[in-house]
Amino acid sequence: MMASLPFRQQEFQEEQMTQTYLTDVVRNAVGTECSRTVSYPIEASAIRRWALAVYWPEPAPQVFMDAEYAPEDFDPFAWGPASYESLLEGDDGSVVVRHGINERALGFPEWKFRAGLNGGMNCTYGVRMHVGDVITDVKSVGEYTERQGRNGLMLITQSISTWTNQQGELVKRTVNAGIRY
Amino acid sequence: MTVKVGDELPTFTRETGFANWNRYAAVNDEFVPIHMDDAAGEAAGNGGAFGMGNLQWAYLHNMLRSWVGENGEILSIEVQFRSPNVKGQTVTAKGVVTAVDGDVISLDVWTEQQEGVKLAPGSAKVKLGK
Repeated sequence: MMASLPFRQQEFQEEQMTQTYLTDVVRNAVGTECSRTVSYPIEASAIRRWALAVYWPEPAPQVFMDAEYAPEDFDPFAWGPASYESLLEGDDGSVVVRHGINERALGFPEWKFRAGLNGGMNCTYGVRMHVGDVITDVKSVGEYTERQGRNGLMLITQSISTWTNQQGELVKRTVNAGIRY
Repeated sequence: MTVKVGDELPTFTRETGFANWNRYAAVNDEFVPIHMDDAAGEAAGNGGAFGMGNLQWAYLHNMLRSWVGENGEILSIEVQFRSPNVKGQTVTAKGVVTAVDGDVISLDVWTEQQEGVKLAPGSAKVKLGK
């Protein structure tokens, strides 16, 4: 019973029961485009190195050693973009967010979490990436939800990343899920 | 190739540890302490350093790519990261056909460790190469 708990513990439990992460600012941000990142032209050596790493210790398929195209999971932004631009009003883009979105620039509350987990990914593919392609990544805010778990109230977030090539063709659309508590 | 529900895909298996993870960190700039340092991994509650979810993701793609062939396509894939890939595990990517709709094949896919515990379960849609 709540009344039988020591004062500090009771206070903590009440805080846990009433707390919510989903303020109006958070709810209204869903769908907001946050940033546009442009890659350097994809190099054949980057495709080869990627393939060697993900197939190691077996050889990578010859199609990747010949760099005819890149593996679907290849990331042309891994070692830094050619340009990064924030699409948020008042944000100078000085903080480059490679994964996820810039919650501070969106004006989200400054949450304090004990832990964060990569919840998973959902990806739909379009055209392949080839040597010389320049990929543009537009990141936007997906659904934010919360759920009570054994570690307290968990915040479950989605960031959406849409990649297109220099011809405007869709390369892939990825929804990344994060879990924090 | 004739495909039917219940067909199992050829698997993709790797012994995992720092040799895999360091190579992946080098290409994906993923030098995160939990993947590089046992103390950091232990502090995160995993008993030591553990592998990247993105590398599990890559292993699933390797399995699917091999099966669909060079002219095939991975249309979509989704996974959840349920359990960490810790050092010394033998990780196997597996898949089984759940539906065939024209030339689009739906699959359950997952990675599992050597005792059969699933690390990253999910699903995918593919088209086989001609």
